[in-house]
Amino acid sequence: MFGHNQVGVIGVAIQPSISVGERSLEEILFDLTHESLTDAGVKIDEVDGIVVGANDQYDGRAISVMMASGAMGGVERDILSTPSAGEHAFVLGALRVATGQFATQLVAAWSPTEASSLAEVQRLAADPYYTRRLPIDENASHALQASVLEHSVPGLTDTAQAIVRKNREQGAAAYPDLPSNESNGSGVRNPWPLRDRMIAPPVTGCVGLILASEDFIRERGIADVAWIQGMGWATEPSFLGDRDLGTLPGLRAAAKQAYRHAGVDDPGSAFNVGEVADQTPYQELLAYEGLGVCDRESWATAATNGDFAAGGRMPINLSGGALSFNPVFCTGLIRIAEVANQIRRKAGSHQKPGAEWGVAHAASGFAMQYNTVAVFGRGRQEAQ
Amino acid sequence: MSTPRVGIIGIGQSVFQRRREDANYPDLVREATVLAMDDCDLSFEQIDAVVYSLSPDAMVGIGNAERLGVDAVGAKNKPFLRINTGGATGISSVAAAYYHIAAGACDTVLTAGADKVGECGDSQTVLNKIWDPTYERQLPLGTISMLAMSGVRYAHKYGMSEEDMARVVVKNRSHSARNPNAHLNKPTTIEEVMASRYIAWPIKLMDCCPQSSGGGAMVLASEKFIKQNNLDAVWITGVGHSSETYWMGDRMGRGQTADHADAHALAQSFKRCYQMAGITDPKMQVDVAELYSPFSNTEFHAIEAAGLAGLGESVSGMRDGEYELGGRIPVSPSGGTLCTNAIAVTAMIRVAEAALQVWNRAGDRQVPGAKVGIANGNGGDHQFFGTMVVEA
Repeated sequence: MFGHNQVGVIGVAIQPSISVGERSLEEILFDLTHESLTDAGVKIDEVDGIVVGANDQYDGRAISVMMASGAMGGVERDILSTPSAGEHAFVLGALRVATGQFATQLVAAWSPTEASSLAEVQRLAADPYYTRRLPIDENASHALQASVLEHSVPGLTDTAQAIVRKNREQGAAAYPDLPSNESNGSGVRNPWPLRDRMIAPPVTGCVGLILASEDFIRERGIADVAWIQGMGWATEPSFLGDRDLGTLPGLRAAAKQAYRHAGVDDPGSAFNVGEVADQTPYQELLAYEGLGVCDRESWATAATNGDFAAGGRMPINLSGGALSFNPVFCTGLIRIAEVANQIRRKAGSHQKPGAEWGVAHAASGFAMQYNTVAVFGRGRQEAQ
Repeated sequence: MSTPRVGIIGIGQSVFQRRREDANYPDLVREATVLAMDDCDLSFEQIDAVVYSLSPDAMVGIGNAERLGVDAVGAKNKPFLRINTGGATGISSVAAAYYHIAAGACDTVLTAGADKVGECGDSQTVLNKIWDPTYERQLPLGTISMLAMSGVRYAHKYGMSEEDMARVVVKNRSHSARNPNAHLNKPTTIEEVMASRYIAWPIKLMDCCPQSSGGGAMVLASEKFIKQNNLDAVWITGVGHSSETYWMGDRMGRGQTADHADAHALAQSFKRCYQMAGITDPKMQVDVAELYSPFSNTEFHAIEAAGLAGLGESVSGMRDGEYELGGRIPVSPSGGTLCTNAIAVTAMIRVAEAALQVWNRAGDRQVPGAKVGIANGNGGDHQFFGTMVVEA
């Protein structure tokens, strides 16, 4: 248990790729809030507080939570915003419920794609003196990471391409009504060594979750709950040059926190299902290692054997992941929401039958600077 | 299960100035962090997590600038996240750090940040971008013109004069003269304030906060950690937030959701944190207040929202000297936001100053015998409000 009070996910709304049409962002968030509340079976009056992951640069606003507040029921409500990552909204929302001072939280993040150049937006996050003059954006940083891995693990390109095929096939099965993802990224020129379709093009998306306390869940008799068993989050250092991009100590630290809370001793056999960061297939491989489910010496064999494919020992990214649908700022919170839905047995066509334990991993920033891990289970833990 | 107590064990703040060309942005964060760490005499290894305090990135000209601050706050491989609720960010960050500990997830949390408002070019140009791009951004809206409209409305409802506004400036400058960290610390007179030029009527230049550069940091800890390590602490006993509508027009005219003269959601936020702290009569129970008032007129509705005076009654209280050091309830003995505004940490400094008061560590600006202090922060277009009660 990660806090003094048990926290569960009781409502989820995932829109991994939105056709915006005539809707404003406020209208999209209004609809998202309604969908989240409806899924949880609660009314907005029962929501004690809101935490959003909102990024000014992507939204083209200063303090972009201002715009979202009204659409999400924030007026006269306790609403906080974290711009560091969409998944950090989940962390803070869960912490707030775990204090016992809040019965419920609405957690949400979104990703508009109206910025004229996401690459330029991302480059502004580079240090203005040393690195901003480089053509650095998040995809370039992911490519640097991929090149380090290619250098250290011979023959990795084939394994990476197998991950792309796996996730694209799973994405098509999970969300068959969304625009075909099979061609997503085809023909897009990626920074070396990323190949064709190794990054999906950015799309608009959003995600919402309703978190609730153990008392609220018991009093309301809510059955389909994804209990948060453990949670960890950590950051890598500031500068790419200070990091070995081929390893992720921050992810190991986050996983260690989450597993300690959840009582997970053997992550390789603990989970029925997982969703991990996969802006590129190399990220998914690093996630296998950082989460302790597969070391790099076994990556190729696992890919060949389909260990992490649907029907494998631990299906990963049954939703298709960010390789299928890439709403850039909220892909991390979507990973968490997807696992929560798996444990709630509400994942629809991509439900893993009998899923009892799942792990979600999210990463944000240049070359996965921020890493967040959440462990979900169907049963609540006894107080320790 | 009752929530365990959370204490403040370390405070660090820069000597705020208009420009800090000797220090880049991470340097400023580091400066405040080191001061806070020295204050509690902990090592970075003893810090479990970090909450980063930074409002709009555009103010420092770096997107997601918290990423460049990771090393400055010693967060490598540790839990780390950032808060942005505009001007309320500082107090929201302290609240987020509080939640880490109150949840039982951490024993020690550092919250830190910095801003270079004085070096951003023109903060009002940045702050115009908080409004809706379709309907309101084209207007010459800035935070000054926004709160000038509140001042006009407040004056209409409650009889506040421009001299009354100047009286707030004179009081706060007399306080900031005692605060070695304050940016504007030269005493002034009503005549001098009245002679300054209009920025947005009725707000004049000297009714405005400065654009400050500097950092702030605080270390919070669980009661268990504090006792185990024999640390000195003051306690956060109340935490609250509330928000108003985004739309300025919804606070004006018929059908308004709240009156722009008042600070409706700030009052609601104070009500929440008072309830948590068990404060039923703030006029009698609060010893000192550090209120977020970036323009002189806004101190009146902040005092009233804090329950230290009835609606419209703080004007006469100000004339009678009730909110001066030595008065009934000193308000902003640090000089407040009116004298120092490094936006990313301004609301954190409000909490820090309230903590120093109840800790009896406020130096020449000490309110004798203060045991209960309150603080608040306002963010967005007077939209987000965070409040806190700190006790000895």
